[in-house]
Amino acid sequence: MRKYTVSLLIALLVPALACAAPNPKLAMPEFAGLAQKATESVTITLDTALLAMAGKFLDGNDPQDAATKEVIKGLRGIYVRSYTFDKDSAYQQADIDAVRSQLSAPGWTRLVETRSRKTRANVDIYIMIDKDQAVGLALIASEPRQFTIVNIIGAIDLDKLHKLEGQFGVPKLDIDLSKTPAQGPAK
Amino acid sequence: MSQDIESGMRAALRPVAPSDEFSQKLLAQVVADPPARSKSFRLVSQGARPLGWWLTASLAASLILAVGIQQHLQEQRLRQSGLEARREVLQALQVTSQKLNLAYEAVKSQSTSLAGEKPGV
Repeated sequence: MRKYTVSLLIALLVPALACAAPNPKLAMPEFAGLAQKATESVTITLDTALLAMAGKFLDGNDPQDAATKEVIKGLRGIYVRSYTFDKDSAYQQADIDAVRSQLSAPGWTRLVETRSRKTRANVDIYIMIDKDQAVGLALIASEPRQFTIVNIIGAIDLDKLHKLEGQFGVPKLDIDLSKTPAQGPAK
Repeated sequence: MSQDIESGMRAALRPVAPSDEFSQKLLAQVVADPPARSKSFRLVSQGARPLGWWLTASLAASLILAVGIQQHLQEQRLRQSGLEARREVLQALQVTSQKLNLAYEAVKSQSTSLAGEKPGV
């Protein structure tokens, strides 16, 4: 009887504990309607197994491949949804808000929020930190004819991401985890 | 009368030893023309295999070939999947970097405009 009680307690506690731990993986909507309207759509879903497989096919002798290999080393998933349209305002903000609302959950910290009148692009970068290490990155970029959602899960090394400068044209953002996030919207 | 017949038959059927000449002729004939062997003995002595052996060997060879082809196809599929995963990783990082660049440009232009607003800077 005592053994049964202990087992029952464990069975009840484990899911509760799992729910309590912040989850860096975002629930991405299907965006089926948008995909039909879009002139170009990018849907990438890479889990741990696929990342490991990709790592085997990255050439260590090629600088770009070598840098990529370093970046994805500690990652557990990369998820990208990007849709490009042939006219302005072809998508609704509500489409993005379903994802954005998840970023107000505990664990997520907004690192960068930019609003540009010049390019009419809004970019929000969120990060999830666990034990002084980034374990999740979420990026939402909305432009008049395009919106992009990127979710990266795993041990994100921002230094290595910086070192990708020159590869893919990644800029140095001077992102310092000790600084307070959300410097304010750009005008 | 019966005795005469009996003695006549005995005399006719008595064993007679062959002459030396006969023995020599017979031996010479045996050496010149050896006796014919059986067909199965001839086949085995020439190295031929029975039909069952050939069937087994063909089956084994087919099995090995099938396994080899399947392994090759599996490796091809694995390679294709790996290359596709690599392409997607590169594309994902490219898209991420493009959007990071957007944020960077916005932050940079804000910094520039703020610097321009401050007097004496």
